[in-house]
Amino acid sequence: MAIDARHVSKSFANYVALRDVDLHVEEGQLVALLGPSGSGKTTLLRIIAGLDGPDPNPDTAVIVDGQDILDRRPSERRVGFVFQHYALFRHMTVFENIAFGLRVRPRKLRPSEPEIRRRVDELLELTQLGRWRFHYPSQLSGGQRQRVALARALAIEPSVLLLDEPFGALDAKVRQELRRWLRALHAKIPVTSVLVTHDQEEALEVADRIVIMNQGRIEQTGTPDEVFHNPASEFVVTFLGHVNLFHGRHGANGQAARVFVRPHELDIERVPTSSESVFASVLRIQSAGPLVRVELATEQNDPITVEMTHDRHRDLTLKAGDRVYVKVRDVRVFVAAN
Amino acid sequence: MAISSRHRHTEETWMRNLFIGVSIAFIGLLILLPVISVFTEAFRKGISFYLTSISDPLAMSALRLTLITAGVTLVANLIFGLAASWLIAKFNFPGRNLLLSLIDLPFAVSPVISGLVFVLLFGARGWFGALSNHGIQIIFATPGVILATIFVTFPFIARELIPLMQEQGADEEEAAVQLGANGWQIFRRVTLPNIRWALIYGVVLANARAMGEFGAVSVVSGHIRGRTNTLPLHVEILYNEYNFSAAFAVASLLALLALVTLVAKAALESRIRVEERPTLMEMEQVES
Repeated sequence: MAIDARHVSKSFANYVALRDVDLHVEEGQLVALLGPSGSGKTTLLRIIAGLDGPDPNPDTAVIVDGQDILDRRPSERRVGFVFQHYALFRHMTVFENIAFGLRVRPRKLRPSEPEIRRRVDELLELTQLGRWRFHYPSQLSGGQRQRVALARALAIEPSVLLLDEPFGALDAKVRQELRRWLRALHAKIPVTSVLVTHDQEEALEVADRIVIMNQGRIEQTGTPDEVFHNPASEFVVTFLGHVNLFHGRHGANGQAARVFVRPHELDIERVPTSSESVFASVLRIQSAGPLVRVELATEQNDPITVEMTHDRHRDLTLKAGDRVYVKVRDVRVFVAAN
Repeated sequence: MAISSRHRHTEETWMRNLFIGVSIAFIGLLILLPVISVFTEAFRKGISFYLTSISDPLAMSALRLTLITAGVTLVANLIFGLAASWLIAKFNFPGRNLLLSLIDLPFAVSPVISGLVFVLLFGARGWFGALSNHGIQIIFATPGVILATIFVTFPFIARELIPLMQEQGADEEEAAVQLGANGWQIFRRVTLPNIRWALIYGVVLANARAMGEFGAVSVVSGHIRGRTNTLPLHVEILYNEYNFSAAFAVASLLALLALVTLVAKAALESRIRVEERPTLMEMEQVES
């Protein structure tokens, strides 16, 4: 079901978490709210879930499936929520954790015991947790706990699924696996999902669309391609990965400008081939990884990072202390200073 | 290498034995010996004297009052302790720290003073002294004994629960709300199971103190034999009358009550374990 949050503001005692935010999520999409900590992304998620209330404003609305759910209690919203630290019921088995949302339903709406068992078994299968059904959360690994949390949220057949930093507490390898698994799960059960993360790589990999937030505002919304290749603001450029900053002049009247270039859009040459090449010395070479990362410093001691293929690195035979020229291959990103 | 490691090993054993010895000596001297002496003194004049002493109507009435007081106190403390801990641990509200300090007050104030406060409040010339004109007797009567006992014991449960509930946070409760549980379901299915051990421990401590409380109760009871004497007060009266064997006999009754409390706790613990066992068995079946 589509989510439409309109004019959502939220201030706490000493800071403003959200400033008149509008969020729209199409039915069946997986959207990532991406931003640094304190940007308001988790607050927005909690307001949609009903765990926090927005600042009172008659224009504020949270519309799910065409209905404003702002006045409904969280228990009546049918919103699945996966908490950052899982928040599993520690004294219940995996099975009972998943069954909880069904068991607490009012008698009239509660499925029968065999029906509950059937639904939980289904979810255990889906999350590959069948073997652990009688284990307690403390006996599970982080990745397993996360899957229990997900299965528990899905058990109530939510109209939307909200995930708060779902992979935040896991190590890199498990994160990778779970991301891919979540993508596959979403393809199988296309429930409208909003995922909060501060990890740009995760957002770019998992999401259909990315909403980039900063200081309580939405900076840009778009597909991963759009936000990465056409960033709308300086913040988006710098947040979506490492960039090099150059100061320069722009336009006919020579307005001061800040130029951002990603490390892979730079090249190193021994002999300058253009007047725009920058003189720099090599500080450090890091070649363990898919790309070779070369850190340099200009004469003004500004840092520059260049990424190149291993082939290119072999051709250049670089070593620390070499004095070289850095050439901008591609300036995709160009933001005038204001 | 081998020599030095063996040397260190003997040193550690020596230290360990010393600590074990000190602990045993301490427990033996200060805890075990007094308990044994209570029972030896109680039976000094033989079993029949012991039985007469404890079946004396005055002793029985003291026992009855002690049990009633402990029972009412337990219920009051359970309600108050749970409510206060829930409030303090799961919510942030103005006056939270004040409430937290107030809960500690009975620990900080001498029980005698606590008793005096109730005399000042409910005594004939106290703030609520007019109550006695309407036939509601608080001081020098059972209600006063109960009030004073509740006052000195109410921190026990809350003090056990608050740190635990704060450490556990409100995450699980939030998850339960999100999954559609109502307030009672959250308490019954999520909060209570998570705190049950601390709760049982707090209840045992509060109960032991309620049955043994002397100072505060002594001030408010008026020592009316057969009416407002609890077991500890009755022991003191017998002792002051040089009726040592009877005093120790009644004291042994108090010690037995403490034992009953401990046994009840152990029974409760094992019952909870039994409840959990089937799932463990199912677990093994799945694994095998």
